[in-house]
Amino acid sequence: MTLLHKTTRDYLIASVSILIFTGFTLFVILQKAVSDEMNEQLELQADQIFESIRLGNHVNAPLIKIDKVTDNNTSLGLVFGDSMVYDRVQKEMEEYHYLKETQVIGDSRYHVTVMSSHIGWDNYYLTIFFIFLLTAILLTLSGILINYYSNKKILKPFFENLKNVQAFSVSSPYTLQLHDSTITEFKELNFTLKDLTERSKKEYLALREFTENASHEIQIPLSIIQSKLDRMSQLEITEQMAGYITQAKSGVNRLSKMNKSLLLLAKLDNQLFTEQHQIVFNDVLDSHLRNMEDLFLAKNINLIETLNKTIIHSHQYLIDILISNFLSNVLKYTSTNGTVKINLKNNVFIISNTGSPLGFPEEYIFDRFTKNPENTSSTGLGLAIIKEICVLNHWTLTYDFQNGWHTFIIVLKQIN
Amino acid sequence: MKLLLVEDEQFLLEEMDTYLTEQGYRCEKATTYTEGQEKLHLYHYDAIVLDITLPGGNGLSLLEILKKQHKNVGVLILSAKDSLYDKITGLEMGADDYITKPFHLEELNARIFSLLRRRTFDGENEVKFDSLVINMVTKTVSYKDESIVLTKKEYELLLYFIVNKNRVVSKQAIAEHLWGDHYDMAENYDTVYVYTMNLRKKITTYTGIDYIKTVYGMGYKWIA
Repeated sequence: MTLLHKTTRDYLIASVSILIFTGFTLFVILQKAVSDEMNEQLELQADQIFESIRLGNHVNAPLIKIDKVTDNNTSLGLVFGDSMVYDRVQKEMEEYHYLKETQVIGDSRYHVTVMSSHIGWDNYYLTIFFIFLLTAILLTLSGILINYYSNKKILKPFFENLKNVQAFSVSSPYTLQLHDSTITEFKELNFTLKDLTERSKKEYLALREFTENASHEIQIPLSIIQSKLDRMSQLEITEQMAGYITQAKSGVNRLSKMNKSLLLLAKLDNQLFTEQHQIVFNDVLDSHLRNMEDLFLAKNINLIETLNKTIIHSHQYLIDILISNFLSNVLKYTSTNGTVKINLKNNVFIISNTGSPLGFPEEYIFDRFTKNPENTSSTGLGLAIIKEICVLNHWTLTYDFQNGWHTFIIVLKQIN
Repeated sequence: MKLLLVEDEQFLLEEMDTYLTEQGYRCEKATTYTEGQEKLHLYHYDAIVLDITLPGGNGLSLLEILKKQHKNVGVLILSAKDSLYDKITGLEMGADDYITKPFHLEELNARIFSLLRRRTFDGENEVKFDSLVINMVTKTVSYKDESIVLTKKEYELLLYFIVNKNRVVSKQAIAEHLWGDHYDMAENYDTVYVYTMNLRKKITTYTGIDYIKTVYGMGYKWIA
């Protein structure tokens, strides 16, 4: 529930409750006032009738009944009550209020009944109800409108800032832009947000710089180790020693590859590849395939290619990385005598290969350091890099494994 | 051929010096920006191997100085940064090639070799070894005027061996030279083996000499 809905709803509940309460109170008070007045009038009427009787005049008027009571046991005093009387004009029964009073005048007792119409209590009730209902509806409507529009106006900078904060990324080169507000709370919020984002950005930049520096610094000792291992290889050594050197070299190689991949990922995260060129994707793909042909042949992998002309707009280096990562991935994971299908048409790049199922859940395939448990020498970064490159280019990348086929699909945006 | 090696890592510098001297170059060393600047000012070199991060300055500024002085020197940039920006800037500023640390010395040697070949003008397009002649323009190989038919990769491999003669070359270095270092090559050493054996067979058939020696567990060596 949004803030606007919540405040509007509370306001509605409050105003409807107040209206119900005041309506009810008004009804009760009015009823009491009217019936008191009616009673008074009836009493006065009865009193005047008795006065006339005392003077010996006989009163005869509609809605008045005067009886001479013979029974002396009839109690004296006033009795109020309601009864139904047929209304000839309206042709319906109508409720009347009456007063029955018995007084002793001379020797006899007179029993007088005076009546007055309720002036349609039902109608009062309904009228009050409808007026209040109308008031309620109008108040609610105006309330909603006022609440909604004024709140919207007041909250507008808030919502816009919210959108900006949502779109904000510490890795983006832009600072967070916030709309100013005259409201103290929003001012404070903006200040806090600005402070928070700037601090996170600073920390992020420091981390990024650290990653880059660390990666560079690692390359230097690695090159010393590698050159010294190469030097050792030149010496007359035993087979055992040769084995150790080879193992050490493969370790250095792995570390160096991983380091380079991490550095590339850091750069992708930092969006350092903003330059874009027109690239003939199929040509780049073809040259990589020709370069690797022998390697596929050596594993007796059947390579089926369909490459249609596809022009994209991207960074040359990233496209090389994307393709070589894909190809080395399929080369590594396609079983000997397997098949690799590469299909590039209608701006969709599909690369699929036969192979054994993944050794981990499918959804982790593009995560960093996810690798097949059987292939410990892999860095587990190749597909993560592919994913990042696709994200950067706004391409959708999907993976699927079915009937022994691993399939990767990239939907490329075309530039004509 | 005279080379200047500008590199601040003493161990690495020594290693480059030793190997390139073995390969017949005259090498001079500089470990700081100022030292490099002085030597460039005083002497002439055929090629410079230039590290970018140096104590006292950036290697790229040395390149700038060279360009201003219009000295015709081949420049190979060495960098720990696998950074496209550095690479492009370096090449735009007149460097001939770019190699990223860590590298194989054989690869560095091969790069220096082709860099110097490209820069020498008058048709030194042939590499001779015994009676083997490699024509680098037509990319063909002949033995006593009889041409030896090699595939593209076999040709590259032969040139790599000859440039790095008398050196044990690892399968990894060969694989990276032939296919680039984008790929994870550990699984493709068998392919290197197949290529090397094919090349060996062809060369032996024509020349009757087995130049390629297998060094167990290490790689191969072209015996001069």
